[in-house]
Amino acid sequence: MSLPHRGPFDPDDVVWNPVSARLASARLVVAWLVVVVVLVPSVVLGLAVGAVWSWGPTIVVVLVAVWITLLIPRQVRAIGYAERADDLLVRRGIMLRRLVVVPYGRMQFVDVQAGPVARRFGVASVQLHTASVGTEASIPGLPPHEADRLRDQLASRGEARLAGL
Amino acid sequence: MHPITPVLKGWQIVAVLLVIAGNQVGDNVVNAQRFLSGGGWRWALLVLAATAVVGVAWASLAWRMTSYAIDEQAVHLRSGILLRQRRQARLDRLQAVDVVKPFLGRLFGLAKLTLEVAGGSGSAVELAFLKESEADALRAELLARAAGIHHPAGDDPAPVAPEHQVFELAPTRLIGSLLLSSTTFVLVPALIGLTVWAVHVREVAPVLAMLPALLGVGSALWSRFAREFGFRAAISPDGIRLRHGLLEQRTQTVPPGRVQAVRITQGPLWRGQDWWRVQINVAGYGSREGAEDANVLLPVGSRVEALHAIWLVLPDLGVPDPRGTLHVALSGSGAEQGFLTMPRRSRWLDPWGWRRRGVLVTDRALLIRSGWFVRHLILVPHERTQSLALQQGPWQRALGVASVTVHSTPGPVSPLIAHLDAADATRLLTEQADRARVARAGAGPEQWMSRPASRTVDRA
Repeated sequence: MSLPHRGPFDPDDVVWNPVSARLASARLVVAWLVVVVVLVPSVVLGLAVGAVWSWGPTIVVVLVAVWITLLIPRQVRAIGYAERADDLLVRRGIMLRRLVVVPYGRMQFVDVQAGPVARRFGVASVQLHTASVGTEASIPGLPPHEADRLRDQLASRGEARLAGL
Repeated sequence: MHPITPVLKGWQIVAVLLVIAGNQVGDNVVNAQRFLSGGGWRWALLVLAATAVVGVAWASLAWRMTSYAIDEQAVHLRSGILLRQRRQARLDRLQAVDVVKPFLGRLFGLAKLTLEVAGGSGSAVELAFLKESEADALRAELLARAAGIHHPAGDDPAPVAPEHQVFELAPTRLIGSLLLSSTTFVLVPALIGLTVWAVHVREVAPVLAMLPALLGVGSALWSRFAREFGFRAAISPDGIRLRHGLLEQRTQTVPPGRVQAVRITQGPLWRGQDWWRVQINVAGYGSREGAEDANVLLPVGSRVEALHAIWLVLPDLGVPDPRGTLHVALSGSGAEQGFLTMPRRSRWLDPWGWRRRGVLVTDRALLIRSGWFVRHLILVPHERTQSLALQQGPWQRALGVASVTVHSTPGPVSPLIAHLDAADATRLLTEQADRARVARAGAGPEQWMSRPASRTVDRA
């Protein structure tokens, strides 16, 4: 599997792993729930007033909903991770792109998390923590078995290369 | 712990009450006056006395429940009245040891020993209060054990490591530096403006309205003065030793290899005197409240002193001509001395600073130069790099530039290399990851005295 080529965010020797497409479904469900919550009062407003301008909020909400629906799958496709011999690479973002390099020897602990919606869609997220709070390296949208494998792999690699601070 | 401890800690509760009362009074002076003149002062005194008694009683209980022990690997602290706590701090993870003598403690000759072990906020082990001599002996003992010196467990205590003083801050320079600080830069125009306005409208109201803000600024200046008064830095086999404080005296010891990053700063008003301020990231200091007093390596100093401060952290910069390189790094611009500069097109994002921005990779550290108005230089030893990130926003992408962030432990220094050419940024990221790995593999052990050859004491 290959991801779209991303210029400076594609170091030469890196093979990116994509995350599960089910993450997009999970995020879309959450986004649509929010859209429905906002849509209902705006439609009520449109019906109650009846004037043309009173449908303005509804139109805005629908446009935002369409935009989000198009954006979320692209965002999920942009997420990738790669395990190299000595470090883990995580990249994400379309507008604001970000690539994080976390050496295994620098990892302090690894979190695996799955919220109710994520569990429903069978995805979990793995987050790496170093001694720096700036390390925002989380990989969302992994199938549970892959999340567990990655966690164990990271833990054992981290132990093998553990250094002081 | 010393038996005077409850009195010192109980006093803190009274002080808190007084501060709260002070705030209330500040809000409503007239009411407070009426209350106190109407016989209320007796009540006020009574409440104060009761608080003092309760505070001291509570602190005595806490004191009875607190005890500590040290062994070869760790320090154990037991404390708590209702919630019992046993804390164990591993000595090989020791990041810094502070001996603090609060003003009241000094009257009784008592000191507080704080061990930082980099476990997030509240992970420090605080032994309070000990006799001064006891605290100093305990620090020497802990540092010796943390350094990996094994001496037979007997009656002779660990010898105190010899020190060599590197610089000392004169009070006149401290006052001068505060007068020329950014606070005054804002304060003086504000004061002049206010005075003109007050004279113009012939009322004192605007000045009175500014009074709380003035008091705030004044107290900030005072606390910085009191904190950095008599600042001295020394080097010893135990690491960097810093002493400072007017009323509350603090002695910090940061063992070798515990400084994660250094930043040297010069505000616009310090340029005439060529003064610099040096701050450091030390794991454990960063997550502490009121961390600003612990993260200073040099409050204000000449260029030569700033170079000495850098030398304390990085005895070997990894370049053939460290002095020349640092001069360019501190006040230069452009590609001199091998600095990698930002492309000209980045001026759209950073119209003034882009010429000054630069990055230099040496054998031992990463040097990041920035700041046009306030000059900055950040040094990160390769083996202290935690993780790296490459970032690019939409404007940066349009211009073909990207930023690289080097993640360090929490503290005042957050290294960012902004607006590099995109190809340079990717190369820097990849190479820096490799360099950090190699440097980590070659770095000395956490127990610094068990390393093959000591780098810290051979000053040429």
